[in-house]
Amino acid sequence: MTREAAYCFAADLGGTKLAAAMADARGRIVAELTEPTDQRGAAHVAEQIAACADKLAQAVGIEVTQARHVMVGLPGAIDPRTGRVSLTPNIAGLEDFDILGFLRGRFGPDVAIENDVNLSMLGEHALGCASRCRNAAFLALGTGVGLGLLIDDKLFRGACGSAGEIADLPIGRDPTTQMLSASGTFELEVGSLAIVNRYRRQGGTAAATVRDIFRLLEQGDEVAASVLDTTARWVALAVVSLQSLLDLELVVFGGSIGVRPELYERVRRTLPALFSRPIAIAPSRLGDRAGLIGAAWAAAQTLRQNLEPA
Amino acid sequence: MTMPAPPPPVTSVTRQLSRRSVFEALLHRSPISRADLAKVTGLSKQTMSEVVDAFGQQGLVRQVGRTSGNVGRTAVLYELSPEGGHVLGIDLGARRLTVALADIAGRVLAEADEPTDSRGGAWALDQIARLSDRLARDNHTHPSRIRSIVLATPGVVNPKSGAIEMAPNITGLGHLNVVGLLGEKLGSPVVIENDINLALLGEIWHGCAQNVANVAFLALGSGIGLGLFTNGQLVRGENGAAGEIGYLPIGGDPLQAASRLQGCLEYQVGATGVLRRYREAGGSEVESVMQVFERAQVGDPIAAQVIEETARLIGLAAAAVIAMVDPQLIVLGGSVGARPDFADQVARVLLQLSPRPVEIRTSTLGRRAGVVGALSVALSRLHDAFFGVAELAAALPLPPPAHRSARQ
Repeated sequence: MTREAAYCFAADLGGTKLAAAMADARGRIVAELTEPTDQRGAAHVAEQIAACADKLAQAVGIEVTQARHVMVGLPGAIDPRTGRVSLTPNIAGLEDFDILGFLRGRFGPDVAIENDVNLSMLGEHALGCASRCRNAAFLALGTGVGLGLLIDDKLFRGACGSAGEIADLPIGRDPTTQMLSASGTFELEVGSLAIVNRYRRQGGTAAATVRDIFRLLEQGDEVAASVLDTTARWVALAVVSLQSLLDLELVVFGGSIGVRPELYERVRRTLPALFSRPIAIAPSRLGDRAGLIGAAWAAAQTLRQNLEPA
Repeated sequence: MTMPAPPPPVTSVTRQLSRRSVFEALLHRSPISRADLAKVTGLSKQTMSEVVDAFGQQGLVRQVGRTSGNVGRTAVLYELSPEGGHVLGIDLGARRLTVALADIAGRVLAEADEPTDSRGGAWALDQIARLSDRLARDNHTHPSRIRSIVLATPGVVNPKSGAIEMAPNITGLGHLNVVGLLGEKLGSPVVIENDINLALLGEIWHGCAQNVANVAFLALGSGIGLGLFTNGQLVRGENGAAGEIGYLPIGGDPLQAASRLQGCLEYQVGATGVLRRYREAGGSEVESVMQVFERAQVGDPIAAQVIEETARLIGLAAAAVIAMVDPQLIVLGGSVGARPDFADQVARVLLQLSPRPVEIRTSTLGRRAGVVGALSVALSRLHDAFFGVAELAAALPLPPPAHRSARQ
C-alpha cells in the first residue's frame, strides 16, 4: 500500500468520553469525533471504539481497512510483556477483557494499546510544549491523577508498564499510619473527589464539583482559595519528588484540573521554597486533545516503519 | 555537477566486525581453539586465523595450552593476554579511597584501599595517583599500559560541564578540574561518574543484580543516594541529577532550611540525621550509626525506635521509587542499607505500603560495589576504543564473573 492510501486510526478512551480520529501517514488528523463512553463496561466500549473507526472512515471517504495501524489509549497500566491492562477503576471490566485481542480481531495485527497519559506525553513531545525536551513528564490532574514520562527521548514504562503511577506516590497523609486503599496516597489528596471533600471540610457549602470551586474562586470565595492553595502544595511536593528522582527538563500540566492557571500558577509559586534548583512547569498546549494527538502520532510512526522496506 | 559518492568502506567495516566478534568470543569463551573460534564467530577459518595472528602481534592473545581431547590431534587454546591493556577503577569516598586494577579480559588483578586524605581537593587527587602507581608497580604493570580510568565520586557529575557538583562530603573538589588534573597525573584519560550509579553497575556486573533489566540501587550510609538502570542504561536526567533521592519531601518539613539545603529525606536518614534523632529522643552518647544499631541489639528501646523510624522512611522512599519508575528489583546498599536486619525492616514496611510488591535484595559487593562498577565502565570504554564499530550502537557485553573465577 502506498503512503497516500494508508491511514491510521487513533482513539483515546476515558472514563467519561471516548475521542477517536483518523489520521494520515504523517500523523495529521483528518477527522475526529468525541462520544460519551458507553457505561455498560469493557465489551461495549470495545464495540464503540470499532464503531467510531467505521464512522470516521465513512466521513473521510475511505474503507476502514485503509487504517493500517491502530493505536488506542487506555486509562490504565499496560504490561509491555503481556499486554495485560491493570489499574483501571474508571471502566468496568477492562482488566478482565482482552481488549488487544478484540481490536486485533477487528483491525488485524497492527494494533497497539498504550497508557493514555503516556500518549499525552507523546503528543506534547511531538506537537506541543515539550517538543524540544529529551526528559519530561506529563502530569494529568483530573478525576484521577496520572503521569507519562519521557526519559532520554523515549517513553519510560518501567518493568511492568507501571512507571509513573503517581497516584501511589507516598505524598499525602502518611500512608504507613492508615489502611491501604484502592487509590493511592497522592490521589487521595489531589483527585477531584479529594478537592471537593476538602472544600466541604473547610466549611464550604456551595460546591459540588471542582469546576464549582474554580467558579467560586473567581467570585472571591476564600475557602475556595484556601482549598486550591492546599491542593497546589501537594502537587508541588509531587513535582519535587519527581524532580529529585528523575531530573526532568519540563513537567507539563494537563487534565481538566491541571490545565487551570488558578492551579498551576499556585504550584509554580510554591516550588522555589521547596527545591533549590529551578523546576520548569507549563500547561499542556494540546489540552484534552493531547492523548488523541499522541495516539495518532505514535500510530503514524509505526505505520511508516511498516511501510518502508527494512 | 556533483561528484559521485565514494563507495562505502565495506572491507574496513567488515574487518572491524570480524575483529570485534573474535574478541568477543575470546572475552566470553576463553580458553578456546581456533576451530571453535571459527565456529562461534561464523567466520571462515582463514579470516579468523588472520585476526588471531594480528591479535597475537598486538599482544592481545596468548596461548594457554592444548585441548586434551582423546580423539584426533589436540588443538592450541587461546585466551586474551593480560598484556592487551589494563583499566583502573577508583572509588573516592568521603572516608575511603579504593583503587582496583583489571586487565582487558576483566580479571581483577589487584585492589587496595586507605582512608581518604581528609584535606580533600588536590591532596585527595595526589593520594589517588600515589595509590594507583603503587598498585600498578606491585603488579608489574607499566602505567602506560593503563588505557582507561573511571573515577567514582559522590555528588552530581554534570554531563555538560564535566564538573562535580553537590559533593559536600569531600572538600575542595568542586573548584578543581578533576578530569584534567587526574588525567595528567595518571597519564590516561579519566572519566568521572557518580558513585551510586557505579555501585549499581557493579552489582549488575558482579553482584546481586546480574541479568536484571530494570534495577534501582538505594544506598544508605552517611548520606542517601539512588541509581536507576532501565533497559540497559543508567538514567542520568537532564543535568545528571537524577536519583537525588535525599531531596524527596518525605520525613520532615520540606519548607525548613535544612530540607532545602541538605534534602528533606537526607536530613532525617543520613548519618547525622539518625544520630540527631537518637540524641533528641534521649539516647545516650554515640558516635556512629553502627553504635545505634549495636544499642538496639542489646535492648535500647530508643535506639530501636530510631532505627524503626529510619526503616519506615526508607520504605516510603522505596514506595516513591516504585510508583515513579517501576523497577523489577531494588538493591539496598551502603553501610546501613546493606545490613540484612535493616533491609528486612524496610521490606516489611514496603509490604504494608505498596500495592505492587517488588523484590528487595541487599548489595552483595558491599563497599566494593563502587570500584567494581568503575572497573566495568573502564573496561567497556577500553573495549569500545579497541573494537567499537560506529554501525553498532551497542557496547560489547562484559564477561560474566563466572569467567573470571574459573581462571583464578
